[in-house]
Amino acid sequence: MKLTIERAALLKALNHVQSVVEKRNTIPILSNVKIEAKGDRASFNATDMDLDIAEKVAAEARRAGSTTAPAHTLYEIVRKLPEGSQVELEHGGGDGQLTLRSGRSKFALPALPVEDFPAMSGGEMPHSFTLSSDELKTLIDRTRFAISSEETRYYLNGIYLHGAESSGVRVLRAVATDGHRLARVEVPLPQGAAGMPGVIVPRKTVNELRKLLDETEGDVAVALSETKIRFAFGDAELTSKLIDGTFPDYERVIPRDNDKILEVDRVQFSQAVDRVSAISTERSRAIKMSVEKGALTLSASSPEQGSAVEELEATYESTPIEIGFNSRYLLDIMAQIEGDAARFAMADAASPTVVREVADGSALYVLMPMRV
Amino acid sequence: MSGAAIRKIIHVDMDAFYASVEQRDDPGLRGRPVAVGHAARRGVVAAASYEARAFGVRSAMPSVTARRLCPDLVFAPPRFGVYRDVSRQVRAILEQYTPLVEPLSLDEAYLDVTANLRALPSASATATEIRARIRAETGLTASAGISYNKFLAKLASDHRKPNGQFVVTPDRARDFLATLPVAKFHGVGPVTAARLNRLGITTGAELARQPLELLEREFGKMGRWFFAIARGEDGREVLPDRPRKSSGAETTFAEDLTDPARIEAGLAAMADEVWGWCARSESLGRTATVKIKYADFRLVTRSRTLATPIDSRALLGATALDLLRSVYPLRTGIRLVGVTLSGFASGDTGTAQLDLDLGGGADGEAARAAG
Repeated sequence: MKLTIERAALLKALNHVQSVVEKRNTIPILSNVKIEAKGDRASFNATDMDLDIAEKVAAEARRAGSTTAPAHTLYEIVRKLPEGSQVELEHGGGDGQLTLRSGRSKFALPALPVEDFPAMSGGEMPHSFTLSSDELKTLIDRTRFAISSEETRYYLNGIYLHGAESSGVRVLRAVATDGHRLARVEVPLPQGAAGMPGVIVPRKTVNELRKLLDETEGDVAVALSETKIRFAFGDAELTSKLIDGTFPDYERVIPRDNDKILEVDRVQFSQAVDRVSAISTERSRAIKMSVEKGALTLSASSPEQGSAVEELEATYESTPIEIGFNSRYLLDIMAQIEGDAARFAMADAASPTVVREVADGSALYVLMPMRV
Repeated sequence: MSGAAIRKIIHVDMDAFYASVEQRDDPGLRGRPVAVGHAARRGVVAAASYEARAFGVRSAMPSVTARRLCPDLVFAPPRFGVYRDVSRQVRAILEQYTPLVEPLSLDEAYLDVTANLRALPSASATATEIRARIRAETGLTASAGISYNKFLAKLASDHRKPNGQFVVTPDRARDFLATLPVAKFHGVGPVTAARLNRLGITTGAELARQPLELLEREFGKMGRWFFAIARGEDGREVLPDRPRKSSGAETTFAEDLTDPARIEAGLAAMADEVWGWCARSESLGRTATVKIKYADFRLVTRSRTLATPIDSRALLGATALDLLRSVYPLRTGIRLVGVTLSGFASGDTGTAQLDLDLGGGADGEAARAAG
């Protein structure tokens, strides 16, 4: 195999694939990136056995072939090469080393046989549909902060993607919860998604996907089966196993009848929460909301740090209520609200509260209070 | 002092607490030497009344020794439930003076009264009032030490015991410490005291003369602490509701045991006791430690830290048993076994995050089987 490629193109591809590769690997081949040269293309491929990213870039294949080399080392080298340089990768086959030449630099890296590289067979993916990259970003951004990292409830360690019906409209929904809060966001159901099973996309896949989306503007083709999902966009393709589990019946924790309705200015509220939370302890991050007609008072106190109080104007007509929340959770939700106003629907200090954007009903957050 | 305001710390210490409670509740015991504990051959004294202390009886002393020192000693079996109730009563009084109350055990606590919520003229006046109220509401006496840090407050409470109080102001601290034996200093146990004495350091004044380098060389990190306290410096804050770091229980067998079945039964009982506390306090630890004291008083501990909290009586029992069995085969009898659980998840401080009622999710296998 022998190919030449522009440094920028190589760096971009390696950047994408190397982040899948775990820093510490007990299986040597999993530290490697698979490189394949053919015609005017080079493809790069890395996997951790659960998640696989493949990317094709323009290159000049002088001799077709393939090999594998350490992903992080290769990435570090290419990162440090001068901008605008040309890179040549050459591998003589068999047990030989991979040679990288660029300008006056020359590197020889250990290669491992391409036959040992685990291919993640996609298998048949009977369901496929297209989402715009913006829709996919929305589904991820507004839910992923709520993904649980608790390993015992591994079925919560991802985003639950499934078809549903919302006020008579068919939607594609993303839901995540860590048992303290829940985020649910929906977009119109794309064509082809109607019969899809509910799937749980693991956190690592979500994060890698989100990185790739930063550089994408077009559509993303999604294909899935009961066990795997694939996202294809431009020259990159990400294939992942799904979490084998059943997402809980989340609808049961979304209250329908909360009648204490509070509306706040999103920016003012976030800033006030941020200030007052400086006092709440690192561990609990508890903050108290005292709501009465037309006004909201945020307060926090801790034996070590003192106390803080801040009053805000707010729209509220119901009977007064005092309710505590984790300030971090409040800020996480506010960060995902784009409009000016946020609406809290509360029942009491020990029951779930619903938070929504006033102007946009597509996202819904459920937040469990703290006892304060 | 570096610009920071001078703090006002009170150390409240109940006088001969357990023994005083027994004397309060049983008039027949008043004025007599009383030891709380069991007279049994291998029992120990948990607390001694002042009358008993006059004979040299001390807490943690074997009952046999205590009896020898004081043939008229009356043993009262401990009633920890009652002590806990009285302790709570005292705590409630203390908390009316400041939210910054740090209990050290059932019978002593630190208070930070810098904020002076009751607008009393001084910390001394606060201490006087607290002691009077403890006396009125529980019928028991307490002593108090008042100073500008915990170290000095605790030393001061010991100074006029029983039923007295003592103030150490910043300008009097050096003089106060100068004549005290180093063995009385916080962090100086019998072994360290002996080492200090060998270096010719027996009093606070001598300790204060030592350069920091020497103390650090001899005692490592503790050396720095000794250097500071010899100057009356202690920056430790009063931490209310100190989260408990471990929970343990141990038992001394009536005779040394070699029969695994009986040893294991004793261990299981201790594991149950620890689990009882965990369940009541909703605290789950990840580290189980088993302590074994052999007939020759040799002490060994074996511990194991699990990846997830020990969340059932069965798991705690099994882990403890595993640890015990790691010292088999026994070459000598066992005198004592204990179980301790530590490594608690960050405890809450009265606030608690409530959970969404998600019900159970399920793994794929179970779901498929059910579906």
